Amino acid sequence: MKKIAIALVLCMVVASTTMAQVPLPVNAQDGPIMLVGGVAHLGNGQVIQNSAIGFDKGIITIVADANNSELSLDGYEVIKIDGKHVYPGFILPNSQVGLTEVSSIRAMSDFNEHGELNPNVRSIISYNTDSEFIPTLRFNGILLAESTPIGGRISGTSSVMEMEGWNWEDAAHTVDMGIHLNWPVKMVSMLDVTTSTLKLEPNEDYDEQTTELDRHFKDAVAYGNAPSKVINLKLDAMQGIFEGSQTLFLHTSSAMEIVESVRFAQSYSVKKIVLIAGSNALFVKDFLKDNEIGIIIPPTHRLPETPDADVYGPYKLPGQLVKAGLIVSLSHSGMLGHSRNLPFFAGTAASYGLDKEEALKMITSNTAKLLGIDKRVGTLETGKDATLFVSEGDALDFRTNILNYAFISGKQITLNNKQQELFERYSRKYGHID
Amino acid sequence: MKLKLLLSLILIVFGFEVWPQETFTPNDVQDLRERAHAFTNATIIVDYQTKIDSATLIIKDGKVVQVGANIPIPPGFFSVDLMGKYIYPSLIDLHTSYGLPQVEKPQGGGFGGVEQMLTKTKGSFNANEAIKSHYKAGNEFVANDKSADELRKIGFGAVLTFREDGIARGNSAFVTLGSNSNEVVLTENAAAHYSLNKGTSMQHYPVSIMGFISLLRQTYLDAAWYSQFNPRPFKDQSLETWIDSQNLPQIFDAGDWMNVLRADKVGDEFGVQYIIKSAGDSYKRIKEVKATGASLVVPVAFPDAYEVDDPIEAQRVSLEDMKHWELASTNLGTLEAAGINFAITTAGLNKKTQFIENVRMAIGNGLSETAALKALTETPARLVRMNDQVGSLKKGMIANFIITSGPLFDKKTIIHENWIQGNPFQFKALDLSDYAGTYDLVIDGKTYKMEVTGEPGSQKAKVVVNDSTAIDINGKLDPNLISLSFPEEKKSKENIRLSGWTTDTGWKGTGQLVDGSWINWVANKTGDLKEDTKEKDSNEEDNNKRLGEVIFPFVAYGSKEIPQQETILIRNATVWTNEAEGTLEGTDVLLKDGKIALIGKSLSDPSATIVDGTGKHLTSGIIDEHTHIALSGRVNEAATNSSMVRIGDQVNSEDINIYRSLAGGVTAAQLLHGSANPVGGQSALIKLRWGMAPEELKIKGADNYIKFALGENVKRSIDPNSIRYPQTRMGVEQVFMDGFTNAVEYGKEWDAYNSLPKKSNITTTKPRRDLVDETMLEIINKQRYITCHSYVQSEINMLIKVADNFGFNVNTFTHILEGYKVADKMKAHGVGASTFSDWWNYKWEVRYAIPYNATIMHNEGVVTAINSDDANSGRRLNQEAAKSIKYGGMSEEDAWKMVSLNPAKLLHLDDRMGSIKVGKDADLVLWTNHPLSVYANVEKTIVDGAVYFDVEKDEQARTALQAERARLIQKMKGVKKKGGTTQKGGSSVQLQLHCEDGQADYSFDMLNE
Repeated sequence: MKKIAIALVLCMVVASTTMAQVPLPVNAQDGPIMLVGGVAHLGNGQVIQNSAIGFDKGIITIVADANNSELSLDGYEVIKIDGKHVYPGFILPNSQVGLTEVSSIRAMSDFNEHGELNPNVRSIISYNTDSEFIPTLRFNGILLAESTPIGGRISGTSSVMEMEGWNWEDAAHTVDMGIHLNWPVKMVSMLDVTTSTLKLEPNEDYDEQTTELDRHFKDAVAYGNAPSKVINLKLDAMQGIFEGSQTLFLHTSSAMEIVESVRFAQSYSVKKIVLIAGSNALFVKDFLKDNEIGIIIPPTHRLPETPDADVYGPYKLPGQLVKAGLIVSLSHSGMLGHSRNLPFFAGTAASYGLDKEEALKMITSNTAKLLGIDKRVGTLETGKDATLFVSEGDALDFRTNILNYAFISGKQITLNNKQQELFERYSRKYGHID
Repeated sequence: MKLKLLLSLILIVFGFEVWPQETFTPNDVQDLRERAHAFTNATIIVDYQTKIDSATLIIKDGKVVQVGANIPIPPGFFSVDLMGKYIYPSLIDLHTSYGLPQVEKPQGGGFGGVEQMLTKTKGSFNANEAIKSHYKAGNEFVANDKSADELRKIGFGAVLTFREDGIARGNSAFVTLGSNSNEVVLTENAAAHYSLNKGTSMQHYPVSIMGFISLLRQTYLDAAWYSQFNPRPFKDQSLETWIDSQNLPQIFDAGDWMNVLRADKVGDEFGVQYIIKSAGDSYKRIKEVKATGASLVVPVAFPDAYEVDDPIEAQRVSLEDMKHWELASTNLGTLEAAGINFAITTAGLNKKTQFIENVRMAIGNGLSETAALKALTETPARLVRMNDQVGSLKKGMIANFIITSGPLFDKKTIIHENWIQGNPFQFKALDLSDYAGTYDLVIDGKTYKMEVTGEPGSQKAKVVVNDSTAIDINGKLDPNLISLSFPEEKKSKENIRLSGWTTDTGWKGTGQLVDGSWINWVANKTGDLKEDTKEKDSNEEDNNKRLGEVIFPFVAYGSKEIPQQETILIRNATVWTNEAEGTLEGTDVLLKDGKIALIGKSLSDPSATIVDGTGKHLTSGIIDEHTHIALSGRVNEAATNSSMVRIGDQVNSEDINIYRSLAGGVTAAQLLHGSANPVGGQSALIKLRWGMAPEELKIKGADNYIKFALGENVKRSIDPNSIRYPQTRMGVEQVFMDGFTNAVEYGKEWDAYNSLPKKSNITTTKPRRDLVDETMLEIINKQRYITCHSYVQSEINMLIKVADNFGFNVNTFTHILEGYKVADKMKAHGVGASTFSDWWNYKWEVRYAIPYNATIMHNEGVVTAINSDDANSGRRLNQEAAKSIKYGGMSEEDAWKMVSLNPAKLLHLDDRMGSIKVGKDADLVLWTNHPLSVYANVEKTIVDGAVYFDVEKDEQARTALQAERARLIQKMKGVKKKGGTTQKGGSSVQLQLHCEDGQADYSFDMLNE
């Protein structure tokens, strides 16, 4: 058997005893660092070809052109990254990361609470920093994720988490930033088992379901106005969306539902509304533009919704929505293990009608805006969190998304995990590497 | 509304005659009658092609005595003058359950729960509950006037009735629609019935089309074996009846055109030509349906138009459904033009009263009246061998006929009477008076303008106040006494009530005003109704007449012409040969006769279509070793060992995912059975020839494959209530050991039989052919190759040992996410791998799955492929392959081979596919960019030298699709405007048959994979 030299371009330091564990969390940044010579993709559309990115105490201090003669490297530990690329950490919205492990096993999932109206349940409580998914996300550049409950009419309250930390308090980036509402569907899919087909039929309970929501919102508003009250956890949890401290995420499917749900939220003066919808948003893109509603869309790597739809529809959707003037963010749905492909969803969008830097925004700055965390993350700008990474090349392409360094709030995190370790172990067993 | 209700009461049946048979003792004096009638001066349609004017029909004792022109009426007959009327033989329906108890679906049996492993039918019947061949409709039949009347009203006089339950449904009875159960059964065992629907059986096997077909095939084989014995080795009433019924007409309730082809194929194997009940969509593939040679039973239940007023909501309706809505009524005409023999059935109509109107629609769309009549009389009678008794009115035939007001298919024609076995059922009086016209209605000196409108027999009166206002008059316009009421003011609730009788000029009578005072009244006709002279919108008419074209496949992105093979010269591309030459820059490739003809620089061919490949990459087509696209129905069969089922039996050429995969550069694929059982089913290897029929997609001469599966799915970990063996990996091994051990014994038994001297071969009982053992034996004999779904190292090791034990090699481990742990053992065994790029942690057995798996196996020398398993990743396999560059640093050329040459090797197709080499199939993809880049888009996908996907044509197709949809939507709106019925909701979509999607589909009982 011939030996094959395998370039393990990844950080090689792996303690073999960590096998069944996730990588060790690291300590806070202990000195200023400057990344010099890389192509910096700022996340706001701009690129600095030969950049100098400095950060200290977890905060970006310098974003500059390395050719700038006034640039001072004094006090910084300089890391030369010539020819490599620097990106703000990618952000994965609307994800169940940390809330589930092996989804087929009931005991391993903590994302769907009993009942319909659960604004008071908080994903951060379930969030498990030892989830094995987390290291695989950051391995591909995803350094932040919105950990989101699902199910019911109002699923609960989500938080943005850093992909690093000893416990949920430690890993929390922005706590309880959003409430997720699943708008009733007008048409329900009925499964015909004999033909394995789904038949769309009108949802007879639609009116009842919207009425129930309406009642809940009315009660929440009244509760907020009441001078004195007995604490009601469900109504209490709703106040943030009226005050503007939280975002209301509307999960919808059809175009009609999009309009109705947005109108509904507006009628209760919800301050920050974000839509979670797919291709049907195209039918009402002007409505969304006029109402300044941003949208989180499912992965480009999916099938068109109907047989008649554009065969490349899901690939083109981001570009079409951006063209319509909307703030668009990409998310993942389905098998959680696949959410690590978020960068490539953006890559595909760039291949079908979008500029690469525009595509990048959909997993960085746009997502930060829609999650309400753009003051701190989403772009490489001074004053923001030093949550960023260095890649061998274009991080939106499979062949070049190879991370050299990643920092979360300035902490240089361990990139390798169980998967790289198993690779090494078995490559060694077979003598593919020495 | 009240008027309508009243009028409908006129339709009550008066022919409620029950006469005693010989053995019947009346509770009365004896009252035998001859029922002798003569009908004169009628236009008589003796049979579908013989019409006699001014003819006479003489009947007696329920039979035709004589028919013809100028026949003297013998004494003893009651004569009826039918001047101006028509007599037709009554119509015949071959697809009913008339007079049989309703079939009730048992409760429960949904997903999850304890499987019903064995039949619940008590008694000496077949081991599979869906084989109900022992059922005889004649034993349970009871004449039922209420349901008979629905059919009598629309002209039917006799029907074939069977129980719609089971794969083998038993025998039907042929009955008239008379009232007396003792008299109406003409044949107790008229035909034997089959279907592709297991009906009420909750037994776990079968659940899929391929399973239904396998069960039928095995039952044919079992019956042949069983019939050799006298006495029988055991009692199986289902097989007994099956055997006895083989000489009857064999009727198969198939369904859509693909199922028609499938049913016919089963018949071909066993020398049976079925009569096939179709779904009325044969026009979509008339050539293939014609080639079956089958006579068809065809419904006229045309789909309603959809609600399409809202442009956004209209998106829910697929082009396929819209086109079918438009073309469904052309089906019969297409069948006639193709020379296919067919009978028409009322089956599937929500309202039987819609029947004649729908037949008229078919006549308006290409069906001749003669063919229509034949399909309702002669053909159904002949198909069930009853044409000596019904279907025409020749001497000696049963007196089943209808009296109509005119030619049967004329729009205004009504059916007056329907005579069944010489007994009349009257629906509209023969001498209906026509009261239509304008009248002066004078009540107590006050004159109202009255109008009577509508067809005779169902006419209505109204008081005309002015041009736009009229007040309806309640009441019925009987020939003798009439009774009317109406409010004086439109909205008033108090009515003027009139009672009266006919006069020569109208009516007169007495009545009461609102205040109760008695008055006299008279209504005298003043004239005829004015013709409705509304101008028809000619544009709209034109639009309605225009019909769309049949496209192949009959879904969006299908086309009138299937792509043809061309001579194509691709110039100056970067060519990924997958051969020793590696990747060639600036190279030309010539495609001719479906093959790669030349590779080189500066090639030319005057006949070639030139494609500029400058700046582009040319690769061989992607081959997906593991997918479930292009299949109808469920991809899993449920038996622990279902080696007998064949995925090839349910290939679906109309699946849009074929086109989507072409758009992702895929040219060939293995369609696999799912992973719900240790031994799954036989694969189908196809090329993505979008537009061709299912059989034409299959790769001719390809080796045989079968799906095996291990682990969580086969032990049904998803269902805590499952009792199906096996429940552990230990048991899984035993299933294989058992299956192969049996197969070896089975082989010995047949070898012994086949080696007998010829004579004793004839006298010795032939062993039973067992489709399960036969297939397992093929594997041992290296005539069939295993693709095995697998995850963890222990089970991979196990199957290698089992194969070693029986002296064969496992061909491919698929998914194989822990292959990296036993790659050396795999290499030693010689098995290949077809894996996911980066799937993991969606279930317990894949928590150690790593994206480096492909790289490690490849480095160890295992032939490794990347597969999709679902239509979504199936159209981005180039991207899936590229991930091995990121994870493990595989070389670009090796990564590319994982979705091209390596799967070709695993499928034993590498002699003709998988690389760009002279002489290989012209299956190529032209990419805009490096094919492993996320920025690579497909520009053209070529299969057998024909361009099946072209990004520019795709754009044009979409424009054309919008135009066609727009036209159909306008047409549908026209239906609604005219008050036609419409349906809400949207088109059915095929459940996406991907597998292990952690959250979404895991609850689906049968995992696919």
